[in-house]
Amino acid sequence: MTKPVNIREIALGVLQEITEEEAYSHVVIREVLEKYQYLEKRDRAFITRVVEGTLEHMIQLDYIIEQFSNVPVYNMKPLIRNLLRMSVYQLKYMDSVPDSAVCNEAVRLAQKRGFYNLKGFVNGVLRNTARRLNQVRYPDQQQEPLHYLSVKYSFPIWMLSKWVSQFGYETTEKICRDSHMSKGTVVRCNLSRASKEEIIAELEAQNITVKQHPYLDYALEISDYNYMKAVSAFRKGWIQVQDISSMLVAEIAAPNWGDYCIDVCAAPGGKSLHIADKLSGSGYVEARDVSEYKVQLMQENIERTGAINIRAMVMDATVRDESSVRKADIVLADVPCSGLGVIGKKQDIKYKMSEKQQQDIIRLQRRILAVVQEYVRPGGVLIFSTCTIGADENQFNIKWFLENFPFRLENIDPYICEELHSKTTQGGYIQLLPGVHHSDGFFIARLRRLEEPDIMR
Amino acid sequence: MAIRQIRIMGDDRLEKVCKPVKEITPRTRELILDMLDTMYEAGGVGLAAPQVGILKRIVVIDVGEGPIVMINPEILETSGEQTGQEGCLSLPGQAGIVTRPNYVKVKAFNENMEEYELEGEELLARAVCHECDHLDGIMYVRHVEGDLFDVTGDEDAEDAEES
Repeated sequence: MTKPVNIREIALGVLQEITEEEAYSHVVIREVLEKYQYLEKRDRAFITRVVEGTLEHMIQLDYIIEQFSNVPVYNMKPLIRNLLRMSVYQLKYMDSVPDSAVCNEAVRLAQKRGFYNLKGFVNGVLRNTARRLNQVRYPDQQQEPLHYLSVKYSFPIWMLSKWVSQFGYETTEKICRDSHMSKGTVVRCNLSRASKEEIIAELEAQNITVKQHPYLDYALEISDYNYMKAVSAFRKGWIQVQDISSMLVAEIAAPNWGDYCIDVCAAPGGKSLHIADKLSGSGYVEARDVSEYKVQLMQENIERTGAINIRAMVMDATVRDESSVRKADIVLADVPCSGLGVIGKKQDIKYKMSEKQQQDIIRLQRRILAVVQEYVRPGGVLIFSTCTIGADENQFNIKWFLENFPFRLENIDPYICEELHSKTTQGGYIQLLPGVHHSDGFFIARLRRLEEPDIMR
Repeated sequence: MAIRQIRIMGDDRLEKVCKPVKEITPRTRELILDMLDTMYEAGGVGLAAPQVGILKRIVVIDVGEGPIVMINPEILETSGEQTGQEGCLSLPGQAGIVTRPNYVKVKAFNENMEEYELEGEELLARAVCHECDHLDGIMYVRHVEGDLFDVTGDEDAEDAEES
């Protein structure tokens, strides 16, 4: 007889890949679910829940483990460390799994993976945790405010202290709390294919819950669906999955009839398609990206929606393309970033990012900006955006950019709803914060290239 | 000691009723060792002699708690039930849902022809039933509820982790 599939072992393997081998959580989880398609829905759901939940609460889980272990978590064997994390997650957050099952399975798994000598250790830590979980003392908010946030919401201290200094303590807590909230999926109605009423009717016919999004008329928030690929409105190309923040990019870009637009970091293509949609078949959008694989995905997406005024192509944004210089009416620079605005969707980001990595990313962002600003024709528009929060990759980049290139910021209030208006939007940019705004964390700035005579002056 | 070739479904040896072992000869001993090697090498939890082409009532099992050798096994008692995925080394890449007793009590002889009894639950119970079926020429597919499905992917490579 063959070895039966052990779903806890699969979950453990996934955690190992994500925490020890730098793989991205959403990619690994997707691949594993694809590989184990034949498993029952309940088992697949268990794997996803345990992996995502363990990542979501990892700092807190480590804190709990260290209350009951004399070995610090960072000193443990990686496999044992992850085994304990996912087991404590089940003890604390999954009432449906009996404590004894959690402990027994963990011990068995430790043994199976060759850690026979650590069986007792795993057993001891987990049984103690199960018994005394309610007595764990967490850091006090008054005495150690940062440590409190870090353990309660599982965010690294360096990130929190940056945010607290930029946004204040209360807002920082809102951002952290929001990352643990479950949310519906925001979709954009492709109004060139169907009317909003038709789309809502189609969705509701499949018993999907539909809510109007407050920021944009054609944005809907949907929930209670199983599989996006089984949603008929999606299959027909009527809706596009895209967060509201990313839709605001096309709004703020505000293309005019016939404009030539270059999206220099386009994958997965949502913004490019959106702009093509807004051009109503006129003009031309070039959706460029450095990865061949991603460009292919974009091309598939383009074909699904049936847009004709857009093309996906492989091109590296850090390499100057002579033929694009001063040609574009609009350049979209949605640059690679630390992704701190989408932690709610990709929980592992908060542990993988470091201050040093952030510095590397900022260097890359500036390299890209320095190259692609040249593509904007005099009088044309550059939209700079990131899905991160914090001044380092956003406001400070803009400041650097304005000091080095002939652009000026432009008021974005005409393009966004009143609810979003503020001093900074008048100034030309917006920082969306999860938990404060009804959106992912995101930054958008609108910059206009000065006309030649302006420069002469 | 050697790795033997595992017969694949369709081989008529998998459909025969096997003969009881009367005495342990050096050849039988060698067969048992080879069966264990072959099972471990294939990453299985159980193997029956007909799966390597020998029509004798011999089974080896290891569900992660050490090797068990059963000669002329006889299931004495079963109770409860478990429904779950089951696969067989003689039908690689496939699995199906099979309902088995959750508990079995079995009588058998060890490699020294000493009689013993063994009780098992869950995976061990499933393995005992699955392997004993082989001795009567029965493949698990006969018990499968619904369709067989593909189980691509190979967990075993990563099992060789150091301690």
